[in-house]
Amino acid sequence: MSIVLARIDSRLVHGQVLEAWVPYVGADCIVVANDEVAVASFQRMVMQAAIPSSIKLIIGTLEETACILKSAELLKKRVLLLFTSSDDALKARQLGVSYTKLNLGNMHSSAGKNRYTCTIALDQQDIDTLQKVEDQGVTIVSQCVPADREQSWHKLIRSGGR
Amino acid sequence: MVVGDYLLAGLVAMLTGLDRVALVQIMISRPLVAAPLTGWVLGNPMVGMEVGMLLELLWLGRLPVGAAIPPDDTQVAVGATVLAVSMGHLLDLNGMPLVILSVLIAIPLGKFGQVFDRLARHVNDRLAVSGHNALMTGSIDSFERYHLFGLASFALASLATAVIIVLLGSFVLYFVAPLFIGAVREAGLSLQYSLILVGAASLLGTINVNRSISLFCAAFTGTMLVLWLR
Amino acid sequence: MKEIRLSWLIFLRIYLRSFLLQASWNFDKLQNLGFFYLILPGLRHIYGEQIPVDVRQRHCDYFNTHPYFAPLVAGTTLRLETLSISGEEPAVDAETYKNMVMAPLAAMGDALFWGGIRPLAALIGLLIASQGSLWAPLVFLVLFNLPHLLFRGIGLVLGYVQELRAIETIQKCRLPDLAIRLKESTTVLIGVLCAYLAFKGCEHQELSAIWGFVQLPIVLLFAWLAHKGVTSLFLVLLTTSSLLLLALLF
Repeated sequence: MSIVLARIDSRLVHGQVLEAWVPYVGADCIVVANDEVAVASFQRMVMQAAIPSSIKLIIGTLEETACILKSAELLKKRVLLLFTSSDDALKARQLGVSYTKLNLGNMHSSAGKNRYTCTIALDQQDIDTLQKVEDQGVTIVSQCVPADREQSWHKLIRSGGR
Repeated sequence: MVVGDYLLAGLVAMLTGLDRVALVQIMISRPLVAAPLTGWVLGNPMVGMEVGMLLELLWLGRLPVGAAIPPDDTQVAVGATVLAVSMGHLLDLNGMPLVILSVLIAIPLGKFGQVFDRLARHVNDRLAVSGHNALMTGSIDSFERYHLFGLASFALASLATAVIIVLLGSFVLYFVAPLFIGAVREAGLSLQYSLILVGAASLLGTINVNRSISLFCAAFTGTMLVLWLR
Repeated sequence: MKEIRLSWLIFLRIYLRSFLLQASWNFDKLQNLGFFYLILPGLRHIYGEQIPVDVRQRHCDYFNTHPYFAPLVAGTTLRLETLSISGEEPAVDAETYKNMVMAPLAAMGDALFWGGIRPLAALIGLLIASQGSLWAPLVFLVLFNLPHLLFRGIGLVLGYVQELRAIETIQKCRLPDLAIRLKESTTVLIGVLCAYLAFKGCEHQELSAIWGFVQLPIVLLFAWLAHKGVTSLFLVLLTTSSLLLLALLF
């Protein structure tokens, strides 16, 4: 198995992922690692409806997906891995999911967060968590769609939020 | 062209610009429609058609996904058509070389569209806050007004883009065209095909179909053979 | 309490308002005002002039979906609102429903309308335009807008009538697979169009049609570059400047 893209995207399965990233990285399997989605049957159905049948979709809690990713089940698959938050990305890494590059896609704003690009809003806790992820040898970049320029997240942070 | 023509073209720029995101979205914003429409109000739909064809093919595969803002293909189409129609007799040029020059000059200027579009959406950030506040205090009428005000910022952004493309484009065309017109005449047809090829290629390169390349090659070869042997 | 019914007049108003969904599109909350504007006629009917503050709050929050799918979401949202005030407890409340469906529906709309129907309709238009016919834009508009305008209306009614089950109906339609079929047709048609234009070009220059095949490797090279993230603007500048240079030199 190879993880061709690991991405934090609060919108999970949406147009940027399916129309732009899937063809760009040539993924044939999407893994959604999220504790809440895993139990919401209605949301699982909506996501399944949005994905063409040529692509395998796996939705599970962080622990379940970590197990599946380590098992032989996805041996020949090119996996696109989705999280909703920096916490989940760190937890997955601690559970042994060995992605080496993390893409920041959409992390939209809520109270107390600073907006760094049009689509990325972070608070201090996010930054600390991402730092921990990076300390494990992961390259963290922000890139909304493949057509955008890839940017190191340090550069993003230095540019200051608002 | 007289002043009235420019005003009409400005109106088309705003209408087609609104169609991109803010209003209706029946795709009169696509170059294939916007350019002939501009050409039609200026009395030369065929020139618009040629501009529209080139640009439509070039940007066929572009998807407006998520919050990413693409270059403004609509105003490039409108602007290039205005350039082609208005500069033709001034430079004593016509036909495909003129269309190609106008398109080539308008395309990079389309980058301004991204700037203005972004600006419009930031203006709307403030509108959205005011609209939300109005709603929370219970004045629904002013909420609706704030929502509809957003149309004005999108329309103005489109108009500004078209004006810049036409102004800068005329300037460039007027001074640059005499230098290049010979070369454009020489390379005319191959220039046109190169734009078409780039369009086809960028669609094939980004579409999410597994066998897109083989399907394309098969269709291309098949059609070629049929036409050739006929 | 008896469930409130929305009249067809209200549906018509919502349908028309759906064309203004993105009038105030903004970076912060995207279609937040638009969505409230969209369902306002329905909310007024359900709650009267005094729409409760929590309803106003929850339907004017972050929202973003494909504009053509918004009527479907509006239909179900309004139905869930009427169900909850008539005392029934739907499995998912209106706010959660919105948050769950907006992104996947956006993906479906992007794939079907932007990725599938639009390029195909445009290519058919282009094939007509390559014959020099001024009908091309009109053909494109009709081909694209018949499914578009129907979809908005059907979505609204379907969303209202079937509420949460509307998603099951949508799932059964396998729209993403349909989108892929459409995209495959597009790649075939673009092959036909390129070959046709190449052949016409060769004829015009009085060259043997065999030269048309030169296009093929060039397209494949460019497609590979485009796949690697090279923008079409750059490719245009590259090809045109090299062609102009060649023409100037020889």
